[in-house]
Parts: sequence; structure tokens; C-alpha cells
Amino acid sequence: MTGALFAQSLVLGILLGGLYALLAAGLTLYFGVMRVVMIAHSAFLILAAYLAWFFHERSGLDPLLSLVITVPLFFVVGYGMQRFLVSRLRPISLTTMSVLLTFAVALTIEGLLGFVWTGTQRRVQLEYSGTSIEVFGVSIAVVKLIAFALAAVSLGALYVILRKTSFGRALRATTQHPEAARLVGIDTDRVAGLGFGLGLATAAIGGTALSLDYTIYPSLHWHWIGPLMAIIVVGGLGSIPGAAIAAMLLGVAASLLQVPLGTTWAQTVFYLALFVTLMIRPQGFFGGRLAQRF
Amino acid sequence: MARVAGLLALVAVVLLFPSLAADPFILSVGVVILSYAVLATSWNLVGGFTGYISLGHAAYSGLGGYATALLILRTGMDPWLALIAGGLIVAAIAIPVGIASLRVRGASFVITSIALVLILQLTFQSWHTFTGGSNGLRVPRPFGTEVLRPEQHERFFYLHAVLLALALLTWWLIERSRLGAGLKAIREDEDKAQALGVPTFAYKLTALVISAFFTALGGGLYALWFGYLDPIFQFSILVGTYMVLMALLGGVRSLFGPLLGAVVVGYAVEVFKSQYGDTQLHLVATGVLLGLVVLFMPDGVIPALSSLLNRRRGAASIREVSAEELAKQREEAAR
Repeated sequence: MTGALFAQSLVLGILLGGLYALLAAGLTLYFGVMRVVMIAHSAFLILAAYLAWFFHERSGLDPLLSLVITVPLFFVVGYGMQRFLVSRLRPISLTTMSVLLTFAVALTIEGLLGFVWTGTQRRVQLEYSGTSIEVFGVSIAVVKLIAFALAAVSLGALYVILRKTSFGRALRATTQHPEAARLVGIDTDRVAGLGFGLGLATAAIGGTALSLDYTIYPSLHWHWIGPLMAIIVVGGLGSIPGAAIAAMLLGVAASLLQVPLGTTWAQTVFYLALFVTLMIRPQGFFGGRLAQRF
Repeated sequence: MARVAGLLALVAVVLLFPSLAADPFILSVGVVILSYAVLATSWNLVGGFTGYISLGHAAYSGLGGYATALLILRTGMDPWLALIAGGLIVAAIAIPVGIASLRVRGASFVITSIALVLILQLTFQSWHTFTGGSNGLRVPRPFGTEVLRPEQHERFFYLHAVLLALALLTWWLIERSRLGAGLKAIREDEDKAQALGVPTFAYKLTALVISAFFTALGGGLYALWFGYLDPIFQFSILVGTYMVLMALLGGVRSLFGPLLGAVVVGYAVEVFKSQYGDTQLHLVATGVLLGLVVLFMPDGVIPALSSLLNRRRGAASIREVSAEELAKQREEAAR
């Protein structure tokens, strides 16, 4: 591998890792507030990408503008999903049953996407789709840069919300110890609902970013949920920084391996990492106390 | 007595079905439904006993199909020997998978099961030289060309019935064994089971390996009948979902639950396909049905209905008393 090629793959890996990090943060939020593994996360991601594509198709405006609609919409849907679906499950088998339930939601979304917009592959064509800028001999597609910037800004905003606001404190308290949080007067049910909404909002942002750069089709979400689940397990469930680090590392690794191995085999690095992590350190590499209960 | 009569009736229906089936198509639907029943019953060996839900059992049925086909094609092995050898190979593959995913509790098992299907689909699609890749793989027929289509269907119908009987017998034997008692203890409360000295990890792993073995035999037998393997359908998330749905619908705690679920779901799937074609709507229907079962009848439709019936009659089973109600009863008794 030449130096230029290496640098190119490295940059692409970092850009992809940013998107993975945002989406993995969403998965971490659900797990934090509810101990729920949300399989439908990537199905909502693809749904948002479809909505962005449809918005662009119909209005001719930039797909990024669809964020104004999809982010609030997904937030409300996420809140409703927690309050009306997930909270109905029995606490004793919550983790397993929630996987089944969100899996069912994912199948439904995939089927509806295929039904409404057929299985045809879709792609947003923009004036700046083909443009790229060159930095130190590495050419970066503008759309990838926008996607990364979107992910980075959202992750930053998420960090500020969790660290600096009283809602963020309430959410972190709910994650750490729900009973104690209730004792100090936090309405944990409401916080869990809002946490779910926040998680699903990341899927809306990620999906819009995805629509800029990817060809989308209904069953695409399976290609995302596998790597994302691997990331949150490697990162240690419940830890957003852990998920971000794992997302970056694995994103870069997959991108670098793509050169000698090709796209398909490079994907296997996620599953290999998942397997190795469960073998030698099942609580993940960066997770805290929470991950022990996984 | 009623049980024996029911069992005899079931056996009679299965034995008579091929001669009652109006045409080869109906018979082939019968084979498909029996194949589903084998898969769902095998799934239940781990899902029902331990409560660990696997959404990716299609990995084992798909591997079983490919192992059987590749052994016949590459080594020229006898098809029936290849079927059994394939099952053993898949059981061996299930060991490291189980070690990785069963050591910790909760979600890692189901996550690994989904990941396994996804990775297998990926590799079997791209590994052209070995698996035929996305072009698929033609499986040689075990019976000669002189055996015509309807005759093929009939033979494979009985073969599937035998395999189903073996899987059911295994479930029945395990349920009556120490292993079964331990597994059920794990399902009800893993902490207490461990505290009582049940070797939880070894038991869970044993259940998974036995389940993988039967699932692989089911996949292999289906491959021999169908004669063609496509990675998209072999390692399909949907097939794994059907297994879960069938077992959950029929009731994971009962011997014949998955069989009943397979008949209902399998029949529905075939009707749906012939009525509406292979549209995306079957995904929606599967998803909605699974969601409804999980939300409202997590113990299965049969148990839900029978408990409803019991309540009507005024008879309560022990299981229906929750710890909360029990405490209340004791409180009242103490007064």
C-alpha cells in the first residue's frame, strides 16, 4: 500500500467513523435509559434517508433541509415508541423481548419502504455530488465532508445536552441508577421517553447524511445494524465515549482493510471484533459499571 | 389417555397426508411446513428451555444446507452420510459461537445470533470459488432420475416427518432429564439456578449445540429436497424470524407448540405468497405479527388461550399467582 493510498483510506475511515459514532451514540442512549437493544435504529436511519431523498425528489431543494422535518418527527416517534411500546414489556425479560419488538419494527419499516418506494435503488443527485477537495494530496468528496460535519456537530450537541443541562443530568442519573433518580424526584419514565426520542433523532440526522453519499434500498439497514451492534459491544454498552472510540477505530480499520481485501471482506472486521470482544472481554473495552450488566 | 389419542391422531394425519393431498403442489407445501416444524422445534431446544432467544438460527440451517451440499460435491460422499456429517460440523461450529455469546447474560446472545447470519450471508455471497457465491449452488439429488417429482415430494415428506419425530423425542427426553430441569431453572431465574449449583454455562452450551445440530439437519434435508442453495435465502434474517415467531406463537414451553406454530405460520406464509406474490408486504405482515405476539402474548397463543379458558372455569394454575398476589394472600391469612 502506497503512502497516498494509506492516507486516503485513513481519511475516509475517519469520515465514516464519525457517522458510526453518532449512530452508536443513539444506540447507547436507548440502552442507557431502558436497557434496550434497539434493532430498529438502522431501519429508522434508512427511513430518514428515504425521506430526505423523497423530499429532494419532490421539492428540488437540498436534502439537508429535510432535517427540519425529520428530526422533530423522529424525536416524537421515539418518545411514543418508548411510552407506548417498550414500556409495556415485562421488566423481567425486557432486554430479550425488546430485541424482538424492535426487530419486528425494523421488519415492518423495511417492508413498508419496499412497498411504498419499491426495491429500486435510489440515489440523490446534487450539483456538488461529484465535487471533491484536495488536502495534502488526499481528495475528499464534499458530501462525505458534510456528512462528517453533521455527525460531529450533532455529537457535540449531544455532549452539551448530556453534560450541561438539567435534563442531561436527569438522563445520566436515570442511566446510572433509576431508583435513586426517582427518589430525588426525577420522572424517570418521562426521561426514558425523551432519551429514546433523542436517540431516534440521531438516526434522522445520520440518515440525512447517508442520503447524500449512498445508494439506498430497503434492506440496506441490515448492513448498518451489524457493524453498529459490534461497535457498542466493543465500546462497552452504555458508554458514549466508548462507543465513539470504538466507532472510529473500527471505521478506520474497515476502511484500511478495504484496499487489500475489498469492500465485502473488510466488513467482516466488525463481526470479528464483536466475536473477539465477547471472547476475551465481554463487558467491552471502554465501558464502565453499566456494561457489566449487559 | 387423551394425550395418547392426540398423539395417535397426529401420527395418522402425517402418515395419511401424502395420499390425501390433491396434487403435487399441496404435497410440496406439506414438505415446506414440515421443514418449518423441524426448524421451529429445533430452535425451541434452546429458545424454549433456556429463554435465550436466537434470531439467527437461519445461520445453522443455512450452514447445514451448504455443508451437506459441499460434502457431496467436493468429496463425493453419500448424500445421507453428508447430511449427518454436515449436522456434526455445524454442531462443532456452534461451540465457539456459544462460548462467545453465552458467557454473559442478556442481549449478547441475540446480538451474536443476528451478527452470525449477516456475516455468513456476506461471506457465502462473495466466496465464489468455494460456495458458488451469489450464483447459488446446485445440490445433487439423492434419488435417481427415475423417481418422479410427486414421488420425490412424498419421500421427502416422510423423511422430514422422521426428523421431526426425532427432534420432538429429543425435546421430550431432555425435558425429563436433569439437564432439562437445569435449563428450565436457568429460564426462570439464572441467578438462583447458579446458586443451587446448576452448571449454567455448560448446560446452555449443550442446549445450543444440540439445537444447532437438529437445525442443521433440517436445513440439509431441505437442501436435498429443494436442490438449490442461494445465500440470500439460506442465511435470511426472515427465516430466523419465522422460527422465533412459530415457536412463540405456539408456545415455547410446550412440546408441540412450535409444531403448531409452524403449521399456522407456514400455511399463512404459503397462502400469502400465492395470493400476493413475493411482495414486501410479507415483511410487514411478519413484523406486525411478531410485534403483536411479543406485546400481548409473550408466552404464546396456546398458553394465553388456555389460561383464558381456565379463568373462565374459575380454576387457577399455580403459575398464575404472582409473587405480589402471594404476599397479599399470606397477609390475609395471617390476619
